[in-house]
Amino acid sequence: MDIKLEKVDDYCWRIPKTGSMRVPGIIFSDESLNKDLQRDESLVQVANVATLPGIVKYSLAMPDIHWGYGFPIGGVAAFDMEEGIVSPGGVGYDINCGCRLMTTSLEADQIKPMMKEIISALFKNIPTGVGSRGAVSLSKADEAAVATEGAAWVVKKGFGRKEDLERIEDHGTMEGADPGVLSERAIQRGLDQLGTLGSGNHFLEVQVVDQIYDEHLAREFNLSQGRVTILIHSGSRGFGHQICDDFLKLMAREVSAQGFDLPDRQLACAYLKSELGRRYLAAMACAANYAWANRQILMHLAETTLLSTLSLSPSELGMQLLYDVCHNIAKKEHHEIDGRQVMLCVHRKGATRSLPPGHPKVPEVYRHAGQPVLIPGDMGTHSYVLAGTEGALQKSFGSSCHGAGRVLSRHQAVKKAKGRAINRELEDKGIFVQSRGKRTLKEEIPEAYKDVSRVVEVVHKAGLARKVARLSPLGVIKG
Amino acid sequence: MSKKKQDYILLDHTADLGIKVRGKTLENLFENAAKAMIELTVRGKSEGKIHSRKIVLSGQDLADLMVQWLGEILYLFEGEKLVATSAKIDKLSPSMLEASVEAVPFDPEFHVIINEIKAVTYHQSKVLKKGDHYESTIIFDL
Repeated sequence: MDIKLEKVDDYCWRIPKTGSMRVPGIIFSDESLNKDLQRDESLVQVANVATLPGIVKYSLAMPDIHWGYGFPIGGVAAFDMEEGIVSPGGVGYDINCGCRLMTTSLEADQIKPMMKEIISALFKNIPTGVGSRGAVSLSKADEAAVATEGAAWVVKKGFGRKEDLERIEDHGTMEGADPGVLSERAIQRGLDQLGTLGSGNHFLEVQVVDQIYDEHLAREFNLSQGRVTILIHSGSRGFGHQICDDFLKLMAREVSAQGFDLPDRQLACAYLKSELGRRYLAAMACAANYAWANRQILMHLAETTLLSTLSLSPSELGMQLLYDVCHNIAKKEHHEIDGRQVMLCVHRKGATRSLPPGHPKVPEVYRHAGQPVLIPGDMGTHSYVLAGTEGALQKSFGSSCHGAGRVLSRHQAVKKAKGRAINRELEDKGIFVQSRGKRTLKEEIPEAYKDVSRVVEVVHKAGLARKVARLSPLGVIKG
Repeated sequence: MSKKKQDYILLDHTADLGIKVRGKTLENLFENAAKAMIELTVRGKSEGKIHSRKIVLSGQDLADLMVQWLGEILYLFEGEKLVATSAKIDKLSPSMLEASVEAVPFDPEFHVIINEIKAVTYHQSKVLKKGDHYESTIIFDL
């Protein structure tokens, strides 16, 4: 299918409502990023999402949009609670895959000579890669507690501090979780994966704040030039994958009985008010909580590793959680539609929430600044910290992008990296990398991704979030 | 599209990984798909104890059964840490599948993991008859 984009302004493009689309599509992009969009099927996927029952206003895509399965990655769609649906494919397999950023009191110059040692210690202490066993082994009762309480449960067990919780989206605990709806398989897969980073594009990165765009907001976020930050990108591991898989199968079976056609079976969904829809949301919340607990443990492991490797006291290291955001989630949120506050179910599949200053869901400590929006770059390039804006609430149901977005398939990337020593190339740039497999490094080469700076520029110019600071990598561990 | 590997080829998908599989019969197609997915997940052989499993599935059509079938083999690996060494289809119709699978425990001394496949997706899943053979497209979430 050939999709024509109509220009709304320099950073916003429309897919007109045609055929069975119930609403138009809106893509936040620019002329240069649009060129990549024509190469794959992501625009068709935006149009497909627009056909789903109860979709409100538009089917959205953030500037890092790329071809997913069912929903595009970078897709955002809100559904009416009465007429609308919830779709596991609109959340993704890695439920609450997300990012967590920590600031420290360390100056980058202080630790640069020790980077190799630091990365090697982090790699040793943080379980990475496929099939790795977690830092915490859970009983079934413990797992149910993690699924219900999220980050709060692991804080009680000594991982991190109570004050971390207010700096996590939803305080690290999503309401409505019910372990009673989980399959035996999901429970089984969750038992030994808590406190693992995972593989693929998941990573832990040691960075330096190398550019400040907004002095005031940077101060509010405790970011200063030359200081070291740590960024974690991970999710709900096999536990979340299984929950998505279980409910997709159940919903795929029932779609024909619900009286509407789907352009792609991966868009299988259930009405929000149906029993199946409610059960999925209760299971999804379990995985969201598991992911927050996971990142809380990973943060703790990073902190203890740095303390021992650098022989510092906690106050000398000064590690503090800046914020933790979800990338893959469906949430019940209030939004203004035609002058009325309405509750909607907002799906963010590879997108970050972006709330403005003063919003009640923004932690007290950032109430004047707006919610921190964390945008990781790909391996070897910059990551960005932004602050949520009113524009995002008006244009994108309070959403922003989540990363650079792939342009090369993993296979193409490996082909492009053939014969190259990616480790060495990165070391030449002053970035130390340790990964479980060489293939992961090749799959994740910088050329495999869009230019994250371009993506962030579009987010900023489109008014979906404000640029605060840029972070440059010093060392990375990957699965 | 790229590299031909026995009975399947890899498809380029921006975020994930896809395969196009062929088989002389439907049973053969399903068996080849399982073999392809195992090859993409893990390499190497171990002499561990063989575990035998019977798999019985009901589905809406052949594409649905294909996704579920590969999902079962993936679960063996992800959930039970078993690497399938043989996957044989005993009975197959558009609404049901019966199969016998043999697997050995994953052993990091002998096995090397190639890809972490999170799931077998329904996206663009197809099972088609093409002349004298059958063909199926499957996209995995990595």
